[in-house]
Amino acid sequence: MIKLIEKIEGEAKLNFSFQEGRIDDVQVDFMSSRGIEEILKGKSPLDALVINPRVCGICGHAHLIATVQALESCYEDIKISKKAKIIRELTLNFEIIQNHFKWFYLTIFPLFGLKQEIMKALHPSQLMGKAIALFGGQYPHTSYAIVGGVACEITNMDIIKLQRYIDETIGFFEKNVANADIQTLQKLENTADIMTKQGDLPDILRTIEKNGWQKLGKSYDRFIAFGENSCFAKGKLLNARIYRNVFVEDVRESDSTTSFAKSVHYLDRYYEVGPLARAMIKKNPLIKDAHGRYEDSMFTRILARVYEIAGLLTHSRSLIEELDLSEPSYIKPDIDISQLNSSGSSAVEAARGTLIHKVEIENSVIKNYEIITPTQWNLCGGDNKNRGVSQKAMIGLNNTDIAELVFKTFDVCSVCTTH
Amino acid sequence: MPDRIEGVKKLFTSRSARVETNKGESYYNDLFERCQTRLRELRVSQPANDRLDFSEVLSNNGVDRRDFMKWVSATTAMLMLPPMFSPLVAEAAELMNRAPVIWLELQDCAGNSEALLRSDGPKIDEIVLDIISLEFHETLQAAAGFQAEKQLEDAIKTFKGKYLLFVEGSVPMGMNGQYGTIGAGAETFYDHLMRVSKDAAAVVAVGACATFGGIPAAAPNPTQAVGVMDVVKGKPLINIPACPANPANMVGVVIHYILTGQLPELDSLLRPKFAFGYRIHDNCERRAHFDAGEYVEEWGDEGAKNNFCLYKMGCKGPMTFNNCSIIRYNEAVNWPIGVGRGCIGCSEPDFWDKYAYERPMANAKIKAPAGGVEKSVDEFGLGLLTAAGIGIGIHAIASAIGGKKEDGGAE
Ligand code: SF4
Ligand code: SF4
Repeated sequence: MIKLIEKIEGEAKLNFSFQEGRIDDVQVDFMSSRGIEEILKGKSPLDALVINPRVCGICGHAHLIATVQALESCYEDIKISKKAKIIRELTLNFEIIQNHFKWFYLTIFPLFGLKQEIMKALHPSQLMGKAIALFGGQYPHTSYAIVGGVACEITNMDIIKLQRYIDETIGFFEKNVANADIQTLQKLENTADIMTKQGDLPDILRTIEKNGWQKLGKSYDRFIAFGENSCFAKGKLLNARIYRNVFVEDVRESDSTTSFAKSVHYLDRYYEVGPLARAMIKKNPLIKDAHGRYEDSMFTRILARVYEIAGLLTHSRSLIEELDLSEPSYIKPDIDISQLNSSGSSAVEAARGTLIHKVEIENSVIKNYEIITPTQWNLCGGDNKNRGVSQKAMIGLNNTDIAELVFKTFDVCSVCTTH
Repeated sequence: MPDRIEGVKKLFTSRSARVETNKGESYYNDLFERCQTRLRELRVSQPANDRLDFSEVLSNNGVDRRDFMKWVSATTAMLMLPPMFSPLVAEAAELMNRAPVIWLELQDCAGNSEALLRSDGPKIDEIVLDIISLEFHETLQAAAGFQAEKQLEDAIKTFKGKYLLFVEGSVPMGMNGQYGTIGAGAETFYDHLMRVSKDAAAVVAVGACATFGGIPAAAPNPTQAVGVMDVVKGKPLINIPACPANPANMVGVVIHYILTGQLPELDSLLRPKFAFGYRIHDNCERRAHFDAGEYVEEWGDEGAKNNFCLYKMGCKGPMTFNNCSIIRYNEAVNWPIGVGRGCIGCSEPDFWDKYAYERPMANAKIKAPAGGVEKSVDEFGLGLLTAAGIGIGIHAIASAIGGKKEDGGAE
């Protein structure tokens, strides 16, 4: 007997079909689209810097950086100062951090029968929003990155404020999320060590353990990340091996007949992107240990996302040390972008995983623009032969509540998925 | 170019007060009494939710009375009310749970909800999120799917004719509305909006998308996106544009509604004057440099390091009405001009096509209304809209489609 259950998550529609008490298939459809890629065609390349952050109010900064880097990649040779690079990276880190806090306390908490912790979600994410605003003027939706660098001229005063925002966020993390010194947390190598700590993260992990859910939500166990910077590494993990050479050119999109979300594959395979993928490719000891026990399950995925906050906070703190304010914020490119007939691409790690932008410039305008978002990798429906990453993770589960939880461990964002 | 700058200078060096901030004693005395009566009535009415007691929430979050009173006077000033209204504003804040708010997301980026989550400091977030009765917010609420739909229906029924409907995102009219559907029945955004706005006391469109179509409406407008005002007719409607809209202005509208039972005074684009009666340029911290003819000529130059005026880098402050130069963003940490990238005019119709980025105003195919030195906001706004042939075109198509739908409806 096939039983059909439909569930709506934001603008995503999940259609489950059950056989013998288990989910034997689930269709994932995204129900809206704005046609951003169409809009970009024919516009001045620099307009993309204003339009693209607005693809998503949740990871708009990643879209800004992806845009500016895609435009810059159209040059044969373009110089960006180290200062500008660090500033772009810092803001990217802050955006990811604030996202993870909100996901944990607003989305994940209620799925474990807990009350949404609005203040716990807001306090750290406001601090990070303020940190972004120091460079970007406002958050969400900044457009301060420009081809050749950044527009902001920061001062020592800004740096002091920035340090304060970061330290306060670290303090919050140590007090609430995992009760230990952040340096100690960074060095953990054994899952058991985090399970014995106090705090909201270990609490959730213990609940998963108590319910015996550790291994639920497994997918292909294949990971990929393209956004390389001082914090993240590039590569793919396939059949338990890491390959460092991956090429954006081999990433393909294909249309779906039922949903506005196009599916994304790399050399004909689906891969998971996001914090878990990043940690596995970077060989993070704690996440590798958890993965060794439970593979790519909801346990590992939740742990990886929240644990990433700690790494990003300490990394940001050390990045600030490297800032040299006497460097230029902007280095003028030798030719104006409107003179280019060229194409390029970029890859950036956003909160939910790899974000790819591809652009073609011809006769001073954008001829083509392609945006491939992290949620497309994780949440798109598959084809007849293979199911998508989140689909695969839900198939075999015996009820839709667990399936919903598994689905949301990927951190759903429908506006990005369809753009 | 120099001529133009001179011209613009003349035009905008005029007195900045384009909104009437002093309407005379008898007006305010009158208003004061009306507000008092209204608050008295509200106090005896049932709260829309019994979620939280106001003073309890404040103290639970370590907000003392002094912080709160600071916020109250800032809000009173923002609403352009004289200080004597402060106690009433404080009372209105305490009675916020008498105003049910339903929040819909249509064709959007969730950016305005994000901005709301970052409104003015934890204390005010508390007020916004817990005290204002956000009966239904598709992103913030924990319930999802069928449960959420049921909540929405309940809220509409319970607060029939009383709730404020906040809408974020534009309405896609192309392909019979199929570019955006919601819920199990795949109701189009258009139908969804029509259904939920029917019983609203007033509709508040938040952000550039919901007000004027926003980014989705950028040429060639693939989904035929329009703003809420293009389709919702016969309802009090208020626009809080900008991308994202400033949370202080959203809270301001709610407070004003509680206080007076009415919407605040609006300009020709239906924007509250208390927020959009100010031109960025007139309150800009770089204005002295504009007047002195000191401009950033190239990113990263000496001018940029010294915070010179960004006019030549394409700043649209002279054409843009909003209060972000006064209240700023992210707990007043900063604003776009503060970091030296210039204003993109995000609270004006069609900013996505006309203003965008580094197109200095002289090349941006926009003309400041000529002649008058003392143009009012109203006329200025209209001037812009008239200049925007495309904008009008879209609006006209939209109303036609909207009208047809209504005509062809069941009743
Ligand atoms: S107005 Fe801006 S912030 Fe609001 S939904 Fe549209 S793009 Fe997002
Ligand atoms: S920076 Fe922009 S808003 Fe400020 S004075 Fe110059 S032109 Fe006017």
